[in-house]
Amino acid sequence: MTTIDDRPVNPPDEPEPPTNRPPSMERVRMWLRRPYAKGIVILTIIIGLALLPLAWLILVPMNVTGAPASAIMQDIETTVFWFTIVSVPIVAFVYAVLVYSLIKWRGHSGDTIPEDESPAIRSNTIGVVLWTAFTSALAFFLVVWGLVALAQITQNAYGTISADQQPGDAQSVIVNVTAQQWVWTFQYPQHDNVTTDVLYLPKDRPIYFNVTSKDVIHNFWLVELGVKIDANPGAITQTGVTPNKLGTFNLRCAELCGMHHAYMETSVEVLEDRAFNSVMRELGGGRTS
Amino acid sequence: MSATTTAMVFGTEIHQPVQHGKPGGIMRRLNIVTGLIGGIGLAAVAGVVTNALVPSGASTATFAPVAPDLVYLAMLVGWTIGFSVGIGAFVGPIRWFLGRDLTHADAEYMAGKDLGWVRYFKFTTDHKVVGIQYLVVFAIILGFGGLLAMLIRTELGVTWAEVFSPGFYNSMIGTHGIAMIIAMIISVMGPIANFIMPIMIGARDMAFPRLNALSLWLVVVAAVMLISTLFQGGIQDGWSVYQPLASQAPPAMLGYQMTIIVFAISTGVASVNLIVTALTMRAKGMTWSRTPIFVYGVFGAALMGLYAFPFFQYSQIMALTDRIFDTSFFNPLQGGSVWLYENLFWLLGHPEVYVILIPSTAILLELMPVFLRKPLFSFNFAIAGIVGVVALSGLVWAHHMYMTGWAPAANYPFMLSTEMISIPVGFLVLVMIGTMWRGLVWTRLPVMAVYAVIFNKMIGGVTGIYLSDVPANQFFHGSMFVVAHFHYMLMGAGLFGAMAGLAFYFPKMTGRILDERTASIGFWTAFVGFQITFMAMFVAGLQGMPRRVLQFDSLFNAPNWISTIGAYIIGLGMLVFAGAVISSWISGDKAPANPFGSKSLEWQTPTPVPLENFAVLPVVTERPYNYGVADPYEKELAAIDGDLDVQKVGSQ
Repeated sequence: MTTIDDRPVNPPDEPEPPTNRPPSMERVRMWLRRPYAKGIVILTIIIGLALLPLAWLILVPMNVTGAPASAIMQDIETTVFWFTIVSVPIVAFVYAVLVYSLIKWRGHSGDTIPEDESPAIRSNTIGVVLWTAFTSALAFFLVVWGLVALAQITQNAYGTISADQQPGDAQSVIVNVTAQQWVWTFQYPQHDNVTTDVLYLPKDRPIYFNVTSKDVIHNFWLVELGVKIDANPGAITQTGVTPNKLGTFNLRCAELCGMHHAYMETSVEVLEDRAFNSVMRELGGGRTS
Repeated sequence: MSATTTAMVFGTEIHQPVQHGKPGGIMRRLNIVTGLIGGIGLAAVAGVVTNALVPSGASTATFAPVAPDLVYLAMLVGWTIGFSVGIGAFVGPIRWFLGRDLTHADAEYMAGKDLGWVRYFKFTTDHKVVGIQYLVVFAIILGFGGLLAMLIRTELGVTWAEVFSPGFYNSMIGTHGIAMIIAMIISVMGPIANFIMPIMIGARDMAFPRLNALSLWLVVVAAVMLISTLFQGGIQDGWSVYQPLASQAPPAMLGYQMTIIVFAISTGVASVNLIVTALTMRAKGMTWSRTPIFVYGVFGAALMGLYAFPFFQYSQIMALTDRIFDTSFFNPLQGGSVWLYENLFWLLGHPEVYVILIPSTAILLELMPVFLRKPLFSFNFAIAGIVGVVALSGLVWAHHMYMTGWAPAANYPFMLSTEMISIPVGFLVLVMIGTMWRGLVWTRLPVMAVYAVIFNKMIGGVTGIYLSDVPANQFFHGSMFVVAHFHYMLMGAGLFGAMAGLAFYFPKMTGRILDERTASIGFWTAFVGFQITFMAMFVAGLQGMPRRVLQFDSLFNAPNWISTIGAYIIGLGMLVFAGAVISSWISGDKAPANPFGSKSLEWQTPTPVPLENFAVLPVVTERPYNYGVADPYEKELAAIDGDLDVQKVGSQ
């Protein structure tokens, strides 16, 4: 029977026994000395460098009909460019593992069940934490970039101001866009309600679009200007743009709207201010505001 | 009348309802032929009666004649009810209602006991029969959708002429879309979840075997209605059939609506069944940490299906009443809202993508340990990935509506939620490459397909982050870029994953060895064709080609030609794969019970799997995926670290 005095006495404080555990940087170096680690790191760099040009290559087809003709389209292209750049490391790493596995970890082939078993790695805290940190950082970057860029293009498109609050100043141009199967009609209320079927726009002036539809949903897409908004029946949607380049651009319907949806396209003429006014006069619209 | 009052079921004496008349009665005479007779007969009667009742020359407010609409709708309803009754879908409830409940012998008959091949043509409740039936139905719908895809690409490749009329072209894209969506939703959840999951968890059948058969035969009913639309003017408005365009459509739109209404019932029934089975039917000892990851995938997908499909069903019921009863849910001229339809539609539309992708990913996670001979990497992260996707899937739908003008301010939170979903999807990729990590690959078709799927999933994922971003979406929305992106996800990851799952479970499901050499040739041909087709389609989208067009600017000619060539290569590859599957099924070698040396329960049963799967229900005593040997590097580390406590491999 033990008495209270027989309790074990705490041993006096001793310094922790010395270990031969290497410092953490040394452990990283040891890990990197493993043949597969080295191979995958090198492959990641090679594949990453090979994928990097995609960031520029993607912009080539986007600009095939002409460089961006508005600040909105420039923002869009910058976004696509940077999103490609930041996704490259993770894609490169995953592809490096796939390639390395196919080359170096190729095991048994044939119908018989292999006898060699692989290392039983149930998890790896460092790997899991690193992956989560990297993908979360990427997602965080995408979200922040996206929110800022969205605010930016919303500002460049003059927000979503309702029609009756739009400025009547001399600088801005209002265009009432009406879609119907399978025609676009543009009405200029500041120019005696002139109506055209080609969209004429002056360069370097804010344009406000009031978009609606007479029948079904269409989508008002000014390709090189980076403007896209649905034309809904029974509702008016607002957007806007400031064209900063002269030229002829494309307007396509981007929402299936029936049999001749494919042919529902027209052109956009961005003109100098004087030329725009003279076109309006020729069409019978004096300047009323 | 020698009515026994007890029956021996697995050694237990069970009280039986009193037998009236001959055993089984009319129930035993019902099969697909009586189903067809009932369906076609009732459809014909309903059509004739409706035609007689509608006043001649009656028309709607927009001067459209009402007779074709009403007659077609009556025929569709007649077909649905007639076929379901004819095949015996309601035998159980009717017998119960009449006080003549099914006896044990009747239940065994319904499960197809001693029926031979006939059981595949009946309302059979055995989950293995339902699985095989699902597989055939899936293949037929997939082939139908694939044929339409070839015709669509032909039209787009012939840039100098219209091969098809615009109306027929539009109906092809709509029908291709919805047929493929239905095919992909049942691709894994039908054949593999039904056949394999109950065995995998050590159960004798699904929780509700009759509902299981009902879900299958309702898909058949829906598929027939979908095909019938081609003879009623076609679904000309894309698979999303946005209102009010759809209100202009020919009567075929009613076929679409009825297809969706019936298919949503089928999905709901199947989802409840899978959820209850996974929750309650697991073998003794199969705790959640011992449950295979595929069960989690099926469970998550069924949860999503259960809340998402009703929205689709409501939207189509409302559209149907708009059309038939002149309600105005979606008609802006009468105060309806087109945005209401879009919201209801996409409340289904996005979770549905994950209903396809999650089981398809889970089946790959299930088969990778078998071929890499090592455990699944970070089982907890795989579960976290599935849970994360399921949780976020319902909060992202409006990213399909960034450009609709519905709620511009809502674009900010929806962009946030959409980009957040890349994190749980990333977990699933981590689990895949982690399982691949240092594993010696046994190079068989199922595991080689994993490489193809990860390759495609990364491309689909990265293009997905452009589309989730509102500014970039402002350029890409409604363009061919979107089409290429979702084909990378649904076909490149979803369908190829389902093909890998099929190749893996082929020996268990059919009892034959798959001719992997031919199947691999087909698979990789389709893979190469897939890259050609959809890479070129990305380029067309970047150039600004809108989707769902049949003629376009000559600017887009070159990528469309390349894309069409690629599509034919896919078609060829798929035919070779299908040929390998069919010929192996008919005349392949008999498969051993466990050809891949798997440790999961489903491979421990004999092949072919007997009725009720297990003579004695198994007890699970260890975690899944107990493959592998001690990590040699761990020993090395231990030698250096000396006193460090190295975790023992395989410790519980």
